[in-house]
Amino acid sequence: MSNKPRVAVFDFACCEGCQLQIVNLEEEILDLIGAVDVVEWREAMSEQSSNYDVAIIEGSITRPEDEERLWLIRSRAKVLIALGACATIGGINKLKNNFDLRDVKKWVYGKDAEKPHLNTELTRSVAQVVKVDYLIHGCPIDRKEFTYIMRCILTGKKPEIPEWPVCVECKLKDNRCLWETGQTCLGPIIRAGCGARCPSSGFRCFGCRGYVNNPNINAAKDVIERYGLDVEVLKRKMNLFGSGNTQVTANG
Amino acid sequence: MSIKKITKQAFANFIDNLIKTATVYGVQPKGERFDFAPLASAKDLRLDYDVTLLPPKRFFQPTTETLLTFDGEGRYKSNFDNENFILLGVHPYDMVAINQMDKIFSKDYYDEHYMKRRNNATIIACDVLTPSENVFAASMGMATVSEGFDILLTDIGDGYVAEAGTEKGNALLAKAETTDANEKDLEKRQKLQQDNQKNLNKHKLKCKPSDIPNLLERAYKHPVWEEKAKTCFSCGSCNTVCPTCYCFNVQDSFNWDLKSGKRQRTWDGCLLDGFTKVAGEHEFRSNRADRFRHRFYRKGKYVPEKLNGQISCVGCGRCVGACLPDIANPVKVFNRLVDDLGLL
Repeated sequence: MSNKPRVAVFDFACCEGCQLQIVNLEEEILDLIGAVDVVEWREAMSEQSSNYDVAIIEGSITRPEDEERLWLIRSRAKVLIALGACATIGGINKLKNNFDLRDVKKWVYGKDAEKPHLNTELTRSVAQVVKVDYLIHGCPIDRKEFTYIMRCILTGKKPEIPEWPVCVECKLKDNRCLWETGQTCLGPIIRAGCGARCPSSGFRCFGCRGYVNNPNINAAKDVIERYGLDVEVLKRKMNLFGSGNTQVTANG
Repeated sequence: MSIKKITKQAFANFIDNLIKTATVYGVQPKGERFDFAPLASAKDLRLDYDVTLLPPKRFFQPTTETLLTFDGEGRYKSNFDNENFILLGVHPYDMVAINQMDKIFSKDYYDEHYMKRRNNATIIACDVLTPSENVFAASMGMATVSEGFDILLTDIGDGYVAEAGTEKGNALLAKAETTDANEKDLEKRQKLQQDNQKNLNKHKLKCKPSDIPNLLERAYKHPVWEEKAKTCFSCGSCNTVCPTCYCFNVQDSFNWDLKSGKRQRTWDGCLLDGFTKVAGEHEFRSNRADRFRHRFYRKGKYVPEKLNGQISCVGCGRCVGACLPDIANPVKVFNRLVDDLGLL
């Protein structure tokens, strides 16, 4: 057996797009699987294992059985990584937390809503259930950031994850502020690290990386008024990725 | 040094010839705003611009740069940019900022990475034709500039007055088809510069720039910092767009062999959460208002102490426009202090 760290990838409630970003690493995936032993990864291989050092968790926790499975993974892994917005902040799955769960089930499953295998509960992020050592933000994750954090973990170095808002990277990209064009961009309160990808393409920040540690929500409301926009519009936009929580931090 | 007159057509020919042999970054439209970008043709150049989105500091201090690479076995190799380039269309206030940064990056510690780029650069400055919405360079005494540039252009209608500021500028100007500037040309130039010294002033400072250090001396506990910082996003936009903000962070990262890697320097900003975080997670300016205050002290007191008293706000007005909650305007803050504390 090699002494390379054994890595397993697991998914919960999500679209599996973040895992797909790992599959999509192209030539860098050879570097990754050269540096670690991948022992379980449902999206990319058939093998399974209960013996691993690093668990990469994608998706949010929405069912009692998810919680049990996550606890089991946590008990087996030395290092646990939350991968992507669903895992780090609950993601868009948290939208349902804004409604009565019975209504949600009815809308989604219709007449089958009460069947036991379709049971669902309020959405939680991975960090709301177990201790998380590293958070890899984004919907989807940024591939470069993923490989950077993996190399940091493998070398024992603390990764530098931006604590500041998207505006920093947006300004460095020499972009005109989207607020000047009438868009309620969430950039000022959302954690950077994406390279301001959406604003650089002319789309407002949707907030997929979650709030900065200390978001100034009141300032956001003031600015909305200053620009003559509707605060309800801002709230709705914050709901997409920010329902029910303001921030998360990794313990690692 | 020579002062020449160059017609617009001769100037366009001069620039188009320059582009053939040199890398030229000139001011061009970017959407509805302006930006320094690689120049492909003189006709793309917009010397009538108001203000660029980012100041030209990124040509000397890139937003991210690799300082060195290491092999993990004790050997490292410093990395320098050796490309010569021409920066075309630098406004006087930005030229003043570059002059200040040249001192900052060479005075106490000679920063080879910055200075190499700086020495590789030829700067063609130009007097302002269109005042931007928030410019207040006149209040700061920085609406015109007399040094630092290799060539200074002033649009006098039927052509430019071109003044060489250095031997490098002189030699470059010799490649253009010029005549000696006559008295009338120089009068026109003087008129434009005098007008700019009055008119580049959309926000009027109620004191002399030289009063600011003393004002700040007495303002450390003033309520304005707390009041304004209440709506501060800590987004650092006032830092990133500022031509005299030069703080940086340095980080190492490893390659996939987990041994070799690189050391990179990136822009940082004193308004950002985590800016003052040090080992052990200790953070000595975790309070938003403390960080907000710090920027004004940097511009009005700390950096001037390194620059023989010259205030390191050049009045470009970029922070005024970049600040969503409209709290960054240095003139508003300094005027408030003048009102409340008076001048000694």
